[in-house]
Amino acid sequence: MKKNLTIPSLGILLILLLAACVKDTDFEQADNITLRPTVELDLIYFDLSASDFFDSNTSNQILTVSDTTELRFLSDGEIQDGLKRAEFYFKFTNSIQRSFTADFQFLSEQNDTTYAVQTSVSQGTIANPVITEFIENVEGNAIADLTMASKVVVSVTIPSSDANLTGSLNLKSKTTYYTEFQ
Amino acid sequence: MLFIALWGVTVIAQNKQVLYGMHEIPQNLMLNPGTKISQKRHYGIPLLSQVHFNLGMSGVSVYDIFGKSDTDINTRIRNKIFELSDKDFFTSTQQLDLINFGWLAKNKLYFSGGIYEEFDFILYFPRDLAILAWEGNRDYLDYEFDLSQVSTTGDLMTVYHFGVNKQITKKLTAGIRAKIYSSMFSYKSTNNSGTFVTRLGDENSENIYEHRLENVNVSVETSGYASLRDVDQASLVTSEVLKRAFFGGNLGVGIDIGATYDITNELAASASVLDFGAIFHTKDVESYRVRSNYTLDGIELIFPPLVDGQGTLPYYDDLEDEVEREVPIDTLNSSYTQLRPMKVNASLGYSFGAPTDGGTDCNCYDMSGGLSRNQAVGLQYYSIFRPKGPQMAGTLFYYRRLFDFLSAKATYTIDSYSSSNVGLGMVVDFGKFNFYVAADNLLSYGNLAKAKSVSLQLGFNIKIARE
Repeated sequence: MKKNLTIPSLGILLILLLAACVKDTDFEQADNITLRPTVELDLIYFDLSASDFFDSNTSNQILTVSDTTELRFLSDGEIQDGLKRAEFYFKFTNSIQRSFTADFQFLSEQNDTTYAVQTSVSQGTIANPVITEFIENVEGNAIADLTMASKVVVSVTIPSSDANLTGSLNLKSKTTYYTEFQ
Repeated sequence: MLFIALWGVTVIAQNKQVLYGMHEIPQNLMLNPGTKISQKRHYGIPLLSQVHFNLGMSGVSVYDIFGKSDTDINTRIRNKIFELSDKDFFTSTQQLDLINFGWLAKNKLYFSGGIYEEFDFILYFPRDLAILAWEGNRDYLDYEFDLSQVSTTGDLMTVYHFGVNKQITKKLTAGIRAKIYSSMFSYKSTNNSGTFVTRLGDENSENIYEHRLENVNVSVETSGYASLRDVDQASLVTSEVLKRAFFGGNLGVGIDIGATYDITNELAASASVLDFGAIFHTKDVESYRVRSNYTLDGIELIFPPLVDGQGTLPYYDDLEDEVEREVPIDTLNSSYTQLRPMKVNASLGYSFGAPTDGGTDCNCYDMSGGLSRNQAVGLQYYSIFRPKGPQMAGTLFYYRRLFDFLSAKATYTIDSYSSSNVGLGMVVDFGKFNFYVAADNLLSYGNLAKAKSVSLQLGFNIKIARE
């Protein structure tokens, strides 16, 4: 009886230890692992008032105002490799009795324009502010242009203005970044 | 070569359920300082008296991710991320006995001591952060990503120990072991709190979204790291770490206690508490802490009237400065105390079968209350205290002394990893030479990739029996 047990238990242990193996696996699949996070991120916002378009000191119209900010993350190496698509969403709320043209000019560090977006904004009134939404979808080859940029120049143009113009033009914006990291 | 091959893939939980209670193995004293002892002296073969490796995962196996399958690996990873909870963990433990010895003194006390090296690591699965990294935040507006799920510790240390064991009465054997820990490297990030959430703003919000860090309090404590950070040569790092192995690191103290009690001739109970202690990190300590409540809205343009040749405001730099100011990473050098992961073992065993000492009813050699029979069955309990509460395991065992020189034990264990863990161990005494090997999760040995944890322990000793 004792002998009958000894040999099998030793045998089982040895066979199991010898037979221990890793099979039915394919570790080369690791090369295919891809993270595809889709990130929602605020972009820029502003609040311009009608008086920004008229210089009361000189009584001159100011037809275009512009401002610039860096967006250094756009030209980051990881983003250049990983960004597959970017969807910009702009939401203008206008209570000025004028329509506007808004320009977003993406510039490289050398101030070359790499990508540009233009949209028009409908006029509204103080009683009834009008919302204009605009979506710019960037994908394919255009992504390479966009990710060469490290800053954006925002220009807002009014066809005409005077001292009596009232109301404000508000912008909120965000971007959806569709990325792929391997 | 077999063993070396196995080391690479073998995994063990800190639970050594197969070894526990096997009196023939001198290192059983490390699992219960109050175990019964049959030998007069033992000397572990240096570096080989106990080898122990662990790599455990709860909820996921290598096969789950890398198995050959028609399903895309990314789909499998995604499914696992959602299937796992923040209570799931990855753990790795490794111990190596450098020296282990013991002797029975004239006053019937069995003294034992030694040095071993231990590496211990646990990482809880930070589920929310994994979802955020894998999916992004688009589909998770208003979802509060929980930063308290970040919980991990890691330690590398040398342990110097000395213990004493005594048969106090016919029925009771008890023992205690003192330990000095010399920590070579340690980090921990536990008790974190806070959330990250992206909320859709309303009319009064500055921008479309509000990206908010709410009540964030996250810290990482390290010891033995700061002085290595700037050492770039691997050999220098190694020599510096080794220096700390010999009391050069941060020191700690702890004890093990244990006892065995023969309730009747057949029924015996035992229990032990191991590593009840703490390490005091005072040297080479560096901690990083983030405490923040912050909302990111994007960049506000204010269209300043431009004077010729002058640029506009540095919005982006200002934003970066604001983030650094509002989400500061503080570096602290304050000491901290770290509790050791305490382990509790308990067992209840019933002996039966032929007496192992020549067929008499009196065990005239060791005079202990319980008779030594050649078979036993019983239950064992094990728990280890981890950052998110104890991890427990229950074991059924069958022990059989097959010959005077050979004993074996089979176990069936239910724990965090699986409910089908079968283990087998044996110990051989060839004259003065003592060898043991134990492995668990044997059912997985056909394909280790499917195992969530597997184990192998082995060791060699010189053991001198009592006359």
